[in-house]
Amino acid sequence: MAMRELVTGGAACAASGSSSSSSNPLGALANALIGTSSKTQERLKEIPTATPTTSDSQFYSETSNHFTALPGSEFDHQLLQPNAQVSEFLGGFRSGNHNGFSDVWNEIQLQSQPSFENFPPPPPPQLQPTLEGPPQRVLSSFLHSFVESSRGGVPFRPTSLPLLGLSEGDKQCIRDRSSIMARHFFADKSEDFINAQVNSLLSSLEIDSDARVKGPLPGRYRELEDYWNESQGMLKPGPQPADGWVAEYSQHRAAHDNPNAWAHSFEQQHGVNGWASEFEQEQSQLASVDQLRGVNISNAMEQTRMLAHTLAQNNDPKFQWVDEFAVEQEQHGTVDDQWVNEFSKLHVNDWVEEFGQQVGDASLGDTSADSWVNAYDDFLNEQVATKQWSDASRRVYVFSDMNPYVGHPNPLKEGQELFRKGLLSEAVLALEAEVLKNPDNAEGWRLLGIAHAENDDDQQAIAAMMRAQEADPTNLEVLLALGVSHTNELEQAAALKYLYGWLHHHPKYGTLATPELPDSLYYADVSRLFIEASRVSPDDADIHIVLGVLYNLSREYDKAIESFQTALKLRPQDYSLWNKLGATQANSVQSADAILAYQQALDLKPNYVRAWANMGVSYANQGMYEDSIRYYVRALAMNPKSDNAWKYLSISLSSASRNDMLEACNLRNLDVLQKEFPL
Amino acid sequence: MANSTQLKSDALLEQMKQHLDTDAGKELTKKIGLVYQINIAPKKIGFEEVTYIVDLKKGEVIKGTYEGGKPDATFSFKDEDFLKVATGKMNPQIAFMRGAMKIKGSLSAAQKFTPEIFPKPSKM
Repeated sequence: MAMRELVTGGAACAASGSSSSSSNPLGALANALIGTSSKTQERLKEIPTATPTTSDSQFYSETSNHFTALPGSEFDHQLLQPNAQVSEFLGGFRSGNHNGFSDVWNEIQLQSQPSFENFPPPPPPQLQPTLEGPPQRVLSSFLHSFVESSRGGVPFRPTSLPLLGLSEGDKQCIRDRSSIMARHFFADKSEDFINAQVNSLLSSLEIDSDARVKGPLPGRYRELEDYWNESQGMLKPGPQPADGWVAEYSQHRAAHDNPNAWAHSFEQQHGVNGWASEFEQEQSQLASVDQLRGVNISNAMEQTRMLAHTLAQNNDPKFQWVDEFAVEQEQHGTVDDQWVNEFSKLHVNDWVEEFGQQVGDASLGDTSADSWVNAYDDFLNEQVATKQWSDASRRVYVFSDMNPYVGHPNPLKEGQELFRKGLLSEAVLALEAEVLKNPDNAEGWRLLGIAHAENDDDQQAIAAMMRAQEADPTNLEVLLALGVSHTNELEQAAALKYLYGWLHHHPKYGTLATPELPDSLYYADVSRLFIEASRVSPDDADIHIVLGVLYNLSREYDKAIESFQTALKLRPQDYSLWNKLGATQANSVQSADAILAYQQALDLKPNYVRAWANMGVSYANQGMYEDSIRYYVRALAMNPKSDNAWKYLSISLSSASRNDMLEACNLRNLDVLQKEFPL
Repeated sequence: MANSTQLKSDALLEQMKQHLDTDAGKELTKKIGLVYQINIAPKKIGFEEVTYIVDLKKGEVIKGTYEGGKPDATFSFKDEDFLKVATGKMNPQIAFMRGAMKIKGSLSAAQKFTPEIFPKPSKM
């Protein structure tokens, strides 16, 4: 009982304010389960005992047996039976940044795989989760069994745990999160039932079940707490569970001494709507499993709205995000209402069944429970991706952790050498070391950008190239590279700007361009200039290359192909040029020709990840899914960080009806995939 | 061409149009056989929308309203979000639940609207 709520409470709390982190490993786990929080991982790293190990794999088997062993449990076999699913479910909870916790978490998931493969032959039944080991692991396992049992609707008995050394703050967090979570999972049950569950949990952990905050609360957050209480109080009487996350915030943020930090950092991380949408999301996901009750959804919406409303009435700047949120709410004509209405109009119960059926009929072959799990999994992955997207849109370069080249005497030279050898990922590391050392080194940034582009990571490529451009605004190669990347991203105005800049800064053609850069560039004008330039110097391959890129912008693909072919006659060994030609052909649906061009590129540069990925695309676009899979896997073997390629791989797997490999794909298990799909 | 009111989605839909003439595209029409209407707005759903008809019965893509009756399902997106869904960067279910994708019409038809049906862009 208690366990369930612990987890559910934690998750809800995290969903509603997931940038609240704490040194509480339980909280961290809950965060990992439900939301992303980079702070959490940092905190987790600080904890000396935080070392999840392989014992967790045993743990899964234990809890699954814990499940079956409990008498009178009415859990849904269907829900429980795909244990691989649960691990997939939990495995999907990647917190999405490069800190240790996510890696560690992945390890756990991967390690737990074998235990699932062995499941049907059940290990000896145990009624307890792992109670040995460092406090964090005990808590984790306690939490895990809680999740599992809650999934199956099995009541959890209070267990006596060894001393876990929970701080007051930890206890507070657990208490409050568990309450919230309980309310989510048992929204259909009575208040008493929920409280009983919470109390059982808390007594196991020796936490006082008094929901009020113990000890002093930093004063400036009292207001927030009061507002929350007020809004909660309007809906239902009884203990106020949600103030816990507020308290937690205050504890976490007290060190930062900036009342706006919380709001801003949360906003930054999740956007103004993030909290609400995550909350809604969670509500909707949970509700859909319970055969969607409209009441649950509207309660959640109601709570959200009320909270936003009460908080919005405060003019204090720290509540700015709430103002924005409330305003957006009104502007959208209470989007939530519409969403709920639209959703309920779709005869929600039927939808769930129908969807389950449809999905079952279609190539995915999942049950409705599976699809929920997968959807939730995707949601979390998307949270990850969202962070990456927002970084990308702000063009923030993301450095790798644990770079072995930091401290190298001449990382630039090393990077150039590695690049020449075709070891792109290694070159990236060396070059990162260089630009960390010399942030104004344009050449370092430029090569870093090129390396990323060839490694099929446009986000990082653009980020690095922008830095290169800052360091050297007149560098032609940088300007061209930026033009190409933005054309790839369909950012037409930006691409034009950079390509025009190329002309403008060119020693030979600069005179053709107007003295100042015009405010708004029209494609027609720019292309005219380039055509003129090409007449001036027909043997300048660069002009033809830029023209080729320009024609891609206007989707005049035949002209683009012609330009690239002219350039190739002048520079037949330029592997990047072959790839440009291929991509142009592919985008104009001449996939067979594209493949020939990519092959030329790969002959010249065997480790050209982008070309491998493009090969995959061209096969997939022709409906040759099995082939495309092999090329994607090859690209990923060279650069496992190519998110594009992972997405495309999973689409091809579905299209090829190889759903058996989808899990390996979701878990990014390259070994399995390489074995199954060699080239 | 290329001024700021152009949609990014134009590129993908043009590729789709040509794609439907290929063998793979013809397989698609056999497999799906539905007509989708897609309303794409540059910044905000419902504002300054451009309408496309992705006719997976006849195998064509038309700009404008559907003349042959009622489309099986109608979607509304923001430009960026349509691209995300079509290239697999955003799951359609998620898109729907977040309000990034609005649906009207047959739900079973809507469920067939997945990244799998769209050709993917290639990178220079």
